[in-house]
Amino acid sequence: MLSRLEAKKPSLCYSEPLTTEKVRATLSVLKGILTSCYGPSGRLKQLHNGMGGAVCTTSQSAVLLRNLSVTHPILKILTTSVQNHVSCFSDCGLFTAILCCNLIENVQKTDLTVTTTIKLNTHLLNFCTNYLRSEVCGCRIPVDFSNTPILLCLVRSILTSKPACMLTRKEIDHISVLILRAFLLTIPENTEDPIILGKSIIVPLKGQRVTDSTVLPGVLIEVSEVQLMKILLVRKSSPLKVVLFSTSLSGDFSDPGEGNVVVSDGVFLENAVLDQLINLGRQLVSDRVELVLCQKVIHPSLKQFLTTHQVIAIDRVGVMLMEPLSKVTGAQPIGSLGSISPGSYGSVKDWCSAKFGCKHFFHLIPNEATVSSLLLCNRSDTAWDELKTYEEPGSILQDDGCTQAELQLIAEAFCSALESLAGSLEHDGGEILIDMKYGHFWSIQAGPSSVVNWTDLLSRCGCGVYSSQEELGWSFLRSTCHPFVPQTCLPHESWEVSPQSAHSLTLDCLTAKLSGLQVAVETANLILDLAYVIEDKS
Amino acid sequence: MAVAGSVKMALQVAEVLEAIVSRCVGPEGRQVLCTKPTGEVLLSRDGGRVLEALHLDHPIARIIVACVSSHLRKTGDGAKTFIIFLCHLLRGLLAITEKEKDSLTLENIQTFERRWKNCCQWKCISQALVTFQTQILDYIIDEYLSRHFLSIFSSSAKERTLCRSSLELLLEAYFCGRVGRNNRKLISQLMCDYFFKCMTSESGMEVFELVDNCFVELNVSVTGLPVSDSRIIDGLVLHRDFSVYCPADGDIRVAIVREIIQPVFSTYRSEFVLNSETQFQTSQIWIMERTKSIMKHLLSQNVKLLLSSVKQPDLVIYYARLSGISVVDCLSSEEISLIQRIIGLSPFVLSQASLQCEISDTASVKFCKPFILRSKTYVHLGLISTCTFIPHCIILCGPVQGLVEQHENALYGAFKMLQQLFKDFDLNYIKKANNQNDTLSPPIYKNSGKNNQLPKSYTHSIQRPYQDTDIKNNDELEETQYLKVHSNLVVSNVELETYIPCSPPKMIPTDAVQTDETWRCLPLENNRVIDDYELLIESNSASNSITENTRIEISYENFQVIDIAEKRSMLPVKYKSVDTYKSQSFCSSSIPAGCVLPVGGSFEILLHYYLLNYAKKCQQLDEIIVSKLIANALLGIPKILYKPKKGNHSFPQIYLRALHTLQTNQPMVSSWAGLESVIGKYYLLTSVLQCLTKILTIDLVINIKRQPQKNSDQDSEDELQH
Repeated sequence: MLSRLEAKKPSLCYSEPLTTEKVRATLSVLKGILTSCYGPSGRLKQLHNGMGGAVCTTSQSAVLLRNLSVTHPILKILTTSVQNHVSCFSDCGLFTAILCCNLIENVQKTDLTVTTTIKLNTHLLNFCTNYLRSEVCGCRIPVDFSNTPILLCLVRSILTSKPACMLTRKEIDHISVLILRAFLLTIPENTEDPIILGKSIIVPLKGQRVTDSTVLPGVLIEVSEVQLMKILLVRKSSPLKVVLFSTSLSGDFSDPGEGNVVVSDGVFLENAVLDQLINLGRQLVSDRVELVLCQKVIHPSLKQFLTTHQVIAIDRVGVMLMEPLSKVTGAQPIGSLGSISPGSYGSVKDWCSAKFGCKHFFHLIPNEATVSSLLLCNRSDTAWDELKTYEEPGSILQDDGCTQAELQLIAEAFCSALESLAGSLEHDGGEILIDMKYGHFWSIQAGPSSVVNWTDLLSRCGCGVYSSQEELGWSFLRSTCHPFVPQTCLPHESWEVSPQSAHSLTLDCLTAKLSGLQVAVETANLILDLAYVIEDKS
Repeated sequence: MAVAGSVKMALQVAEVLEAIVSRCVGPEGRQVLCTKPTGEVLLSRDGGRVLEALHLDHPIARIIVACVSSHLRKTGDGAKTFIIFLCHLLRGLLAITEKEKDSLTLENIQTFERRWKNCCQWKCISQALVTFQTQILDYIIDEYLSRHFLSIFSSSAKERTLCRSSLELLLEAYFCGRVGRNNRKLISQLMCDYFFKCMTSESGMEVFELVDNCFVELNVSVTGLPVSDSRIIDGLVLHRDFSVYCPADGDIRVAIVREIIQPVFSTYRSEFVLNSETQFQTSQIWIMERTKSIMKHLLSQNVKLLLSSVKQPDLVIYYARLSGISVVDCLSSEEISLIQRIIGLSPFVLSQASLQCEISDTASVKFCKPFILRSKTYVHLGLISTCTFIPHCIILCGPVQGLVEQHENALYGAFKMLQQLFKDFDLNYIKKANNQNDTLSPPIYKNSGKNNQLPKSYTHSIQRPYQDTDIKNNDELEETQYLKVHSNLVVSNVELETYIPCSPPKMIPTDAVQTDETWRCLPLENNRVIDDYELLIESNSASNSITENTRIEISYENFQVIDIAEKRSMLPVKYKSVDTYKSQSFCSSSIPAGCVLPVGGSFEILLHYYLLNYAKKCQQLDEIIVSKLIANALLGIPKILYKPKKGNHSFPQIYLRALHTLQTNQPMVSSWAGLESVIGKYYLLTSVLQCLTKILTIDLVINIKRQPQKNSDQDSEDELQH
């Protein structure tokens, strides 16, 4: 034990943290908040601080959990684990959180010992993951990049589940197409192993119509209007020879070392450095470079020199753009003021000026590159913050409860949690049905429950793969149903059967969902396993 | 304010700790969540961490925690068992004194005097504990317990090969007590895989040392992914991204640098005078050219990867990119030294004088590529190892940081445990002859070669090959080893080369060097003991036990004599050692590396049984008391382990069955699958006994109001004691 200057206060230690009423109450409040946000018909939450500050409207788990101040250590574990998951996959956060809450609540209702429940949970989790990963899993739809409609459905499903974006159906369609296009642009044309994805740069633009958003190949560099005017005076040729500097061209003195540097009287280092810069400029001009891009600052004299020689000079590009610029132009970032080897130069096809809203951009058009810029426009800050892009190649899982419903049939104790999760997708007070053939999820409007013919009421199942024409038997989700094996069907077949349903298909990313499922169960097990909480009060 | 230190108080404290710890112990144990004032959350089942997180105020509690921590540093296991065992020992001690209380009150002595007596009594007991720990324990383990030992090595003719299934059982049992229920299988499998992947057939202790030193560098933690995504990957993952990455294949050579490659204007304590602008320009050009030429030279040596511990300037990065050399800079010195150890490469030094720099050596790597984990890029190196460690990295995933840390600590602890297990451990004790007079001769007591207190290097030096574990017959080895033990204990670092017999120094137990108080106290204790256990033979009178007690003092004196003698000449020491060996049946044996016992209280029950047996045969009072005390306290651990079991597997049933099999000489059968290290248990026992001795010797706790002072270890040590 080392000596401390400040004596530490003894910690507070209490046992069986989950049994206290307070924890249960907070847990159920949190669950209530989260469940009401879940799904395409989820409700928005407005978060504001009583002391002032911005008001935030959201239904996203990431934003919600970040802004909610949770004090109890157990809830803290839950929220951090969900946040960590979201930062990995940026999807399925609410799913994870709600499932975890449900598991904890349901286990507490049973009389089983913690040991048994944890063992069972782990076992069932393995069962589920094995099923979902296996080929027999009826709810997987493989995705390949040639099948754009399915990809589009995925992107759209994600966007629709974010009502705080305040997008109309048309706007969602527009944005989904853009996101998908931007993503597809990052895939290089000549595919070798391993595929190195390009990059799409998101350029935020506020106060514009959503439908003004667009995807442009190449890189957009924001410049001031005056600068752009100057650039426009320069004559154009194509393709342009480009040079990219990562070092500063401002003439500052490099690291003198640990000792002293003594400068004699009458020696002006500024002149010496400027001479060097101008020499560099001369070399650039003689090498017929037409565009100079610099991460840092270019000395005004050098800039002037370059402009007079019809060379466009753009400085303060910033470190974020350096990598995409290097990719687009093929130029190597230069870190020296000495002579430049010809291999470091790059080229672009063309450039043009662009004006979006009140901002001016210098647009570099590449010959062939995997870098694109996605201009995202939106009316308000909050709504823009809500817009996020995520593209995850891989297998896709049908969403909207179909899986949950299917899993529900696997085991009772564990899956009543999944069941109520699926149940929470219905917010309008309607009933939820499950069909006995595929185990998919159906939702009906609230109303007279004594309907004889379900087919009249139901048109399409939650994820839109099946329509009600098929001969299916339904039962209420919460009623006790006799176990059956979900019929395995090849998604392709049904896909081909009803191509027109492509518009309403709701999809979810399998990798994210699977990981979310695992994280939820692991976190729940962890919380259930707690015997003590020791709080350091100092 | 001063409070009298008492066993009662210590027991109260220990019982509180026991209550907390006993819920986390064993396979049914549960997790503890610790929060820090910074808001961090830590999950733990590690007893040491839990105890430290409590920030206990009570002075005795702090002693206990300090003892646990130092025990953990050594062995990496057993913190919870420590507390439980200690608690049972204290309980047992108190029970003994409770019975005696009546006799004390009858005496009607004044309070101060009584307390004084109490203290002396505790002191006696603590001395008896020390005697037990240093002499009887080793004897019992070697003589009786060792026949039950199993080994994790499959002992074929000459080579010892590690048995994978045994190691799995051992690790699984270890992680049962350290990580959450749902992850133990996965983590122990991970550890087992890692172990076998990193080890070559000729790997030895140095691998353990390397992993022990560089554990942080050898694993990468990732939050947000499920624990089941944890895995082992080939090669080394550096916690950095490339500054320059140029894909390369074929023969990739790597160079290490610890300084900035680009020359600077002036070095430390020198001055660079600029006289003209052209001079400045030419020197800048020279710097550029020089950097360029260094890079060219590196390339000509086929160096494709440069590892740097400092940040390299833009210029270097630029020329590296031009030459197609990948650069990883800002590596921590630990990472650099780990790489150096693995590939046996020293950093190259730039000479300022000549333009042509000397690159002493380079090493090959199999591959070098970026490694993306959760949107963070790392450098993945396929190093070709020149030592017996084959580099592999563990990637630990978990939903929250706290859980990942828990697994990391558990893995680290497991390595510590294995490290202890893979060493031979020497036991030294005196085989008591039947003749009671023998025991009175002094040299015996110096023979208590306490190995665990010797410096670590020593334990290394006398490590013998596995084959000669049974060295009782080998006289020569015996002698030399004894000499070494002796020299280390007393003379420290003096090499004994010659071997000249000489007359022994006079060290006959003449009188007791004891204070009056002790004298007064002793007969009392004796009476009590006789009252309690009617096992004593009549001949064993009070006088006998007094000599028993004085002996310790004498033996201390002996040490002093030896010390003085040593200064004059080394001869007496040598002579005595020979003498001891010949006349007393001095035994030196060892717990061979890899000794294990079935998990679930086997060690405790066995030791319990043999200690009771020993106590029956034993004729000395305090040995009997102490043996019985320890034997009974040992049962506390299996009692807790078997608590959730019912019926045929409840503790009384198991205990009776075990006793029966032992009495009838049948092999022990354990109901648990799993193994635990014997040496770990042995260390635990000795640590607890040492801790108990420490507690017992305190008579007064003084509360100091002044602020603790910093930068003084002595002070903090004092703080603990009072």
